[in-house]
Amino acid sequence: MTIHLALFASLSKYQPDGLGGCQARAIDVADGATVGALIAGLGLPDVTRVVFVNGRHAAADQPLCDGDRLGVFPQIGGG
Amino acid sequence: MEMKDLLRVNMADLSVTVEPVPEAWAVLFVKKYGGRALTDAIVYHEVPTDADPLGPGNKLVFAPGTLGGTSAPNGGRLSVGAKSPLTGGIKESNSGGQAAHALARVGLSAVVIEDVPADKSARYVLVIEADRAARLERVDDWAGLGNYEVADRIAAMRPEGDKYATISIGPAGEAFAKAAGIAISDPKGYPNRFAGRGGLGAVMGSKGLKGIVVSYAGTSSLGHADKEAFAAATRRFSKALKEHPVSGTGLPMYGTNVLTNILNEAGGLPTRNFSAGFFESADALSGETQRDTILARGGDVSHACFSGCVIQCSRYWVDKDGAYVTRGPEYETVWSFGADCGIADFDGIAALDRACGDFGLDTIEMGATMAVYMDSGALAFGDAAGALAALKAGLEPDNELRVLWDGAEATGKHFGVARIPVVKHQALPAYDPRPVQGIGVTYATTPQGADHTAGYTITANILGVGGSVDPLKPEGQAALSANLQIATAMLDSLGFCIFVAFPVLDIPEAFAAIHEMVEAHTGDKWGADELMQLGREVLTMERLYNKRVGFTAADDRLPRFFYEDKLPPHDVVFTVSDEELDAVFDFVEATAAQMGLQQ
Repeated sequence: MTIHLALFASLSKYQPDGLGGCQARAIDVADGATVGALIAGLGLPDVTRVVFVNGRHAAADQPLCDGDRLGVFPQIGGG
Repeated sequence: MEMKDLLRVNMADLSVTVEPVPEAWAVLFVKKYGGRALTDAIVYHEVPTDADPLGPGNKLVFAPGTLGGTSAPNGGRLSVGAKSPLTGGIKESNSGGQAAHALARVGLSAVVIEDVPADKSARYVLVIEADRAARLERVDDWAGLGNYEVADRIAAMRPEGDKYATISIGPAGEAFAKAAGIAISDPKGYPNRFAGRGGLGAVMGSKGLKGIVVSYAGTSSLGHADKEAFAAATRRFSKALKEHPVSGTGLPMYGTNVLTNILNEAGGLPTRNFSAGFFESADALSGETQRDTILARGGDVSHACFSGCVIQCSRYWVDKDGAYVTRGPEYETVWSFGADCGIADFDGIAALDRACGDFGLDTIEMGATMAVYMDSGALAFGDAAGALAALKAGLEPDNELRVLWDGAEATGKHFGVARIPVVKHQALPAYDPRPVQGIGVTYATTPQGADHTAGYTITANILGVGGSVDPLKPEGQAALSANLQIATAMLDSLGFCIFVAFPVLDIPEAFAAIHEMVEAHTGDKWGADELMQLGREVLTMERLYNKRVGFTAADDRLPRFFYEDKLPPHDVVFTVSDEELDAVFDFVEATAAQMGLQQ
């Protein structure tokens, strides 16, 4: 299935296509893959992350559906 | 070791007097109150609740926090207080810059500006020397100058090698504009830090005060009751600030504007006057893009806005030739003139930020106002050049667009716009309350009017800091907001930048280090209970004052459209109940009794 993957801030360099930037890329994942499984395959550094699927916070065990948008942030904040 | 003296400045008889904090409060308050607590106490006790905010009865108070002037990491914020001409209630406007440390180091706990000059054309600058000798100088030819020119005029007055901070207003304050703010100088002397919210620039303008200069040359950091304990606590605090990913990595790298992408992802970035929560061009305005652009143009992307800050989230925006344009811009400004106005051009936003900085206008209020103006159809969403021209039109007193300088509500009413995003007459900041319901509780209930810093629930609602509360549901939001409002009132009184909240919410040692620092500095007992009591006392003064002004539960609500218009992409409305909103300040009655204040 196709997932739209966006990685932000210091995580953007881990995009599978190596091009960096924060725009979402369409990537192919196995049917029934979970949020956690997809992220584990990206080789991200072991930092606290904030993860959204279609704009809602998502737990690692949430199964992904075709066409979902996954946004992954390191822990950031401002005011 | 404790600064107990006030500088009272009377703009009618031009007297300038150093005096102790009033005896009547000395027992209760002087040992505890700095920053927001002190500005609130002075306004509460000395400004009648029916005073005209632009008249002789209002007072403008500047106060460093309890830890101002010390080496407490991130303890150098300035509180500015008065009765607000925008909200009509009590206001504390909080700023970075060097002025808090300067005032504390010359031995002042507050500067109180009283009364108004008889001659409306008079302009004064208050000069405070490092030995605390202070005088008012007449500077009528400074009338109409922008903040940057005022900074230059002050520099020309000071001796070579002087160390000083400046506080000033631009033409907006002099015009008594309700969106006028007060500029404070950063460590390089740029007048680009702001006590922006609530129209306090107009109060300063009504008093004929164009600027304040505080010299702190030759002064030292303040002493402590227990020097070793203080030093040990500052080391623990500093370690926590550096360890936490937000204060230690995210903020120094990307600044506050790191928030654009995550609020957009969450569907909570108010776009085109709060008509959507997702902006198609958010990435062009992101903190990531901002950092890359500044670096490519040869600028710097991390510095402190006051000495002793270890987070260093500030940066300067530079033009294509690498020359300074303005600070940041910060997330709130990039949102207000960006997504909210449908503008995707960073240089256009920077020009708007520079103009607000120079004229002395609150960028949150002005961007939200510009979006309301665009919603009237008078100007296209996305037209940055048109927005700048509209902003500048306010320089002409008879121009119809002078109304923009009075904020979003005045502008919306004048141009017949239905969607006016304000609470207690103050414009909402950069988070839509429908998909981020915790911040909606803060906007509705804080005595400050729609204000995000007053109880920054974005921490648990969006960022996963201090736990997690689903932003899309009403459950848990009121308790989250209430606790954060109390904690923030405490931090604002101690002089801390609220960004210390990120480590404080996640690292127990950081919270402990705060009361250890206050206890070691003051010599008074300070534990967790005392810190939270301080926060409750601050909010109690504010609620009681506003009640006497005439605020009711009806003022603790969001505008109707937030309850009715579903915001895309999540298609949600604000659903926290009125009963929950009205319970946020349940502690006020008991706290008022403890303080001996009449309800």
